[in-house]
Amino acid sequence: MRIRLQPSDSRPLYVQIMDEVRSALVRGTVGPDDPLPSVRELASGLRVNPRTVSQAYAELERDGVVRVQPGRGTFVAPGLRPDHEARPHLAREVARRALADASRNGLVLDELMAALQELADDPEVTS
Amino acid sequence: MTAPATTLRLPTDLGTGPHAVAARGVVKHFGPIAALDGPDLQVPEGSVYVLVGPNGAGKSTLLRLLMGLLSRDEGTLDVLGADPHEEGSAIRAAVGYVPEGQDLGYPWMTVGRLLEHHRAYFGTWDAAYARRLVHEFDVDLARSCRALSKGERRRVQLILALAHRPPLLLLDEPTDGLDHVVRDTALALLSEHLSDRPTTVLMSTHRVYEVERLVDTVGVLSEGRLLGQFTRAAMNERLLRYWTDVPTEWDESQPVDAEVIRRTRGRREVEWVAWGPREEVSAALERTGAEVRDVTPVSIDDAATALLSRREVS
Repeated sequence: MRIRLQPSDSRPLYVQIMDEVRSALVRGTVGPDDPLPSVRELASGLRVNPRTVSQAYAELERDGVVRVQPGRGTFVAPGLRPDHEARPHLAREVARRALADASRNGLVLDELMAALQELADDPEVTS
Repeated sequence: MTAPATTLRLPTDLGTGPHAVAARGVVKHFGPIAALDGPDLQVPEGSVYVLVGPNGAGKSTLLRLLMGLLSRDEGTLDVLGADPHEEGSAIRAAVGYVPEGQDLGYPWMTVGRLLEHHRAYFGTWDAAYARRLVHEFDVDLARSCRALSKGERRRVQLILALAHRPPLLLLDEPTDGLDHVVRDTALALLSEHLSDRPTTVLMSTHRVYEVERLVDTVGVLSEGRLLGQFTRAAMNERLLRYWTDVPTEWDESQPVDAEVIRRTRGRREVEWVAWGPREEVSAALERTGAEVRDVTPVSIDDAATALLSRREVS
């Protein structure tokens, strides 16, 4: 599983890590019971404070996405169905960012929806 | 850019601790100049605290006082439960210190010999870890200290600071002189160090963006005084940028009932950086006739720049 952070992304780092884990679940890179990188390994790889990774894992555990097993590591929750949790959650997050971006640019929901539909219908964009 | 005329009130208290480092009302003069003018600094145990401020703000002076390398004129200092003025040598044996400048102290020694010299001094020296650091930082033990470049000396200083596995790191501009690749290595090793041992870090830097992802607490020092200190969690919640639309005839001289750090005026838009609960600040801005369009987080680097530039114009 590859976790990336975007330097231009203004969301708190732990939130970005949480969404990256959910994204890996939706894409099928990791599945139920699979181990996640250790806090040490992921923190060092991302050059972040280990507490930030611990916070992300703890919040994911609270959401029922992972299970932290002290001394063993962090695992995707057994029986987790990405379609029920991760997929709708991620979709909402992407929508939230799009809405905020639209609002920042002075656009209203209808205009954003129309543009999304238009782009989705364009074969060159969706291919 | 304008700065409101009122005095800014930002939090300067990080609670009752435990603190790995605490300074209270510390004053240090060099001749008639007060390098430190009474800051109350608290570094919570286990935190990664970055001290930001312009040249001459007193950052290096404070770190040297904490190491017992200078003595204060007034105030109290506590480093790992000891007073550096009384127990300087005990503190120096327990702390990993990267000093200002790149002086290694023993120009005639090879790097290998210098490491042996430190190993004898630090009871907690971890030889296997030292070898790994030498490898990761790509340092040649056979070279003479005096032949090293500025960046190479910084690498050796980082090895010396980390290899004895100290519970407290005091780092004065730790990435100074390092190229991109070595800086990246240093940040990864620092992150590992935080995972491996309960460690508190207090570092000073001009380049906050380089260490921003590791930092969880920030203090802003200017002219020997602390303008504010807060955790990243508090920042995420309370230090925000507000993007507002205003009518063309909007009166920018009217008072605003919020802790505004910076205001940038366009013709129909005003961008604010302010401290406070989001709802309260938004309401205060709306009362002036501004319409809040968006609220976004502020990076530590942005926050420091806003605070320091405010100081300079007020």
